[in-house]
Amino acid sequence: MAAQAADPSKILRVTFQAAETGFDPVKVSDYYSGTVIEAIFDPLLTYDYRARPAQLVPNTAVSLPEITDQGRTYQIRVKPGIYFADDPAFKGAKRELTAADYAYSLGRFLDKKNHSPYAFLYEGIAKIETPDRQTLRIRLKGPDLNFGHVLAFTLSGAVAREAIEAYGDESAARPVGTGAFRLKRYTRSSKIVLEANPGYRERVWEGQRLPRIGGVEISIMEETQSRWLAFQRGDTDIEYQLAEVATVFMNADGTLKSEFARRGIKLDRSVDPEIIYFYFNMQDKTVGGLSKERIALRRAIAMAYRIEDQIRIIRKGQAIRAHYPIPPGVAGHDPDYRSAIPYDPRAANALLDKFGYRKGPDGYRRQPNGEALAIRFSSTPTERDRQFDELWKRSLDSIGIRLEIHKDRFPELIKLSHQCRLMLRAAAWIADYPDGDNFMQLLYGPNTGQSNSGCYRSPEYDRRYEKSRLLPPGPERDRLYREMTRVMEMETAWILTDSRYRNVLLQPYVANYAKHPVLHTEWLYLDLER
Amino acid sequence: MSDNFFIRRLWQTVPTLLGVVLLVFVLFNWVGGDPAYLLAGKIPNPEQIENIRRSLGVDQPYWMQLWIFVKQVASADFGASWSTNEQVSQIFATRLGPSLTVLLPLLLISTFIALAAGMLVAYWRGSLTDRAIMVGCTVAQSVSILVYILVFQYLLAYQLGWFPVQGWGGNLAENLLRYAALPILVGVVVSLAPDIRLYRSFFLDEIGQDYVRTARAKGLSEPRVLWLHVLRNAAIPIVTNVLIQLPGLLAGAFLIERFFSIPGIGREVILAVERSDFPVIKAVTVYVAVATLAINLLSDVLYKLLDPRVQLK
Repeated sequence: MAAQAADPSKILRVTFQAAETGFDPVKVSDYYSGTVIEAIFDPLLTYDYRARPAQLVPNTAVSLPEITDQGRTYQIRVKPGIYFADDPAFKGAKRELTAADYAYSLGRFLDKKNHSPYAFLYEGIAKIETPDRQTLRIRLKGPDLNFGHVLAFTLSGAVAREAIEAYGDESAARPVGTGAFRLKRYTRSSKIVLEANPGYRERVWEGQRLPRIGGVEISIMEETQSRWLAFQRGDTDIEYQLAEVATVFMNADGTLKSEFARRGIKLDRSVDPEIIYFYFNMQDKTVGGLSKERIALRRAIAMAYRIEDQIRIIRKGQAIRAHYPIPPGVAGHDPDYRSAIPYDPRAANALLDKFGYRKGPDGYRRQPNGEALAIRFSSTPTERDRQFDELWKRSLDSIGIRLEIHKDRFPELIKLSHQCRLMLRAAAWIADYPDGDNFMQLLYGPNTGQSNSGCYRSPEYDRRYEKSRLLPPGPERDRLYREMTRVMEMETAWILTDSRYRNVLLQPYVANYAKHPVLHTEWLYLDLER
Repeated sequence: MSDNFFIRRLWQTVPTLLGVVLLVFVLFNWVGGDPAYLLAGKIPNPEQIENIRRSLGVDQPYWMQLWIFVKQVASADFGASWSTNEQVSQIFATRLGPSLTVLLPLLLISTFIALAAGMLVAYWRGSLTDRAIMVGCTVAQSVSILVYILVFQYLLAYQLGWFPVQGWGGNLAENLLRYAALPILVGVVVSLAPDIRLYRSFFLDEIGQDYVRTARAKGLSEPRVLWLHVLRNAAIPIVTNVLIQLPGLLAGAFLIERFFSIPGIGREVILAVERSDFPVIKAVTVYVAVATLAINLLSDVLYKLLDPRVQLK
């Protein structure tokens, strides 16, 4: 039986560097809660563990969805014989997973009472139907060929209505799913103990029944030194994020230092599916708009910004230059694309001179109409952001532009950004699903006030984006994405900077580890071969 | 001890608490930012933002929000955490135990050692030992607690393996004897230097008094003079110092709790600040204020017990 597959003596010990917020899929938005949710709940679809780029495969669905009506209707059959983990909410009965559970679970994201942070992913749903016990039919408001990724999203797992209703406000601490693990012990913000779900369906991968391990013990350790020492002492088996001490265990070329390699420790280094960028407010009266002077100003600023210094000093070498808005590992990424905007302060100065941004007696440039020119960079009052402030100061000084630093609290910056009231700010976006659309929508005009933080409205970009929405991943869509990226670069709405490395350290006995671009955990597949 | 004293002191807590409430409210609304934008996720729309603001009650006029806060203080019910939905009372109930497991032994041990050391250096005033200890205390006091934590954790736990690097178990004995030992040691070492200096000055004030000379003239042994007569007379400022540390320690031990993964109140407070979790911030501020007021009252009562000459009016 499946329960025999999991060896109860094999307990994986890992850490989170920040506390979770809970395990009710509609109520969370943080990475760590999502990680545990992924282990407990089952979405209809998932990703092949080994395939790169990420590839959708059925999970609790019998097969991939049947897509009809030009991408407006998705029909999926749920495998019979899958059961929720035993729970008092089911009053002693075995509770089989049905299509109605997915209808209920997806519907919860649309229920305004839940004000789910991830409601935006499900806003395209017009109607959810269950023609029979195992069939789910989702009708969308418009064609969407990427909706399969939403069905594979970590938070799209099935919850049971009885459990949600039984636990009410406590649902975040009482997760009941059909996944490979179930919650055994939970001390909020401190310790999360999962055990292999004894009722987990029979699942075989590469000749092995899953899961291999009997449980996962997660300790919340905010401090890098504690995580690093605990890992070195062998108190933990995997360490997911040690960027601050990367130079202690890694050589400059990204390989593990010999003293660690000799001990059998393994390093898995990958680039996170994210982009980090600066956006200009395209509605701002100083830097915004599509006139030649404004484009020249933004282009000159982009040419003066020291991206390599950002990677070397602020990231301590733990990032790669991002040239394309779609990061590696995400469908649509173009590894050959190179930014057309080089680091060239001399050319930037010449460009500003040409477009009438003349230097005044104080050595700083003025606008073509003679008014004072100052770039207002918004950041939070944190140590890391102070480093960005200093880098911007040096960059803008090199082209004679005065910098003003605007400090505010994070929520206030978000608010001002949604209201198109900032001038220049840094932003980061990590993939919700491994498809380029998740990134290219960040520049789509109608998303202004939501994900389009720079309030960028370009007819050339928007027209191509709307076309791309109707295409499946492939060469034709990739061509559109390249054109859109060039349009964005020519109009210089963003300064794309970098994507960070994720350096995962593994003890010698941890087997089957392969960092997936979007799946949070590998726990289902891991083995401990002590 | 008159009843009037207690009634008057209890009445005095009302304006103090109102002041705390007002200060917290103004500070949070000034510094905290709009929590709806934190809770709304990656792509919020205006309708969702408004929904969240409504559900949190931050769409109400300020005077109404302040009134709700006052009612929460009066009923000791601060509702649920904005980020985890856990009842604030539950948060404190579950985090208090681990905090006290570290802080009570820490306070007892550090007080006892600091008393003994303070008394000895006061007794040897001006000697090489006194000067060496005072220089040592000044140096030790100049070092940040963060340095103590980093060095002790690295050296004693990681290098020598005398303690676990971090962690917290399921029962009191395991926690007290295994996981809390190093955090307690760090806490004791950090608090010793300032306490020894302070207690030394208290003892010096007393050692020169006439009653000490009289006791010695009567032939009492030096330990008896010091531990009975001097200590008792120096006890009032010592008790004040020990008690007044308690509420601050509870919320202020966040560094120790974070580095050693102790699920205590200090760590929870930092988490709440990071998440702009106003219900938790409100509760902890009010609890600390109430605890401070209660401890002040307790100190007054203890003064009377320690020194019958003290009149509580």
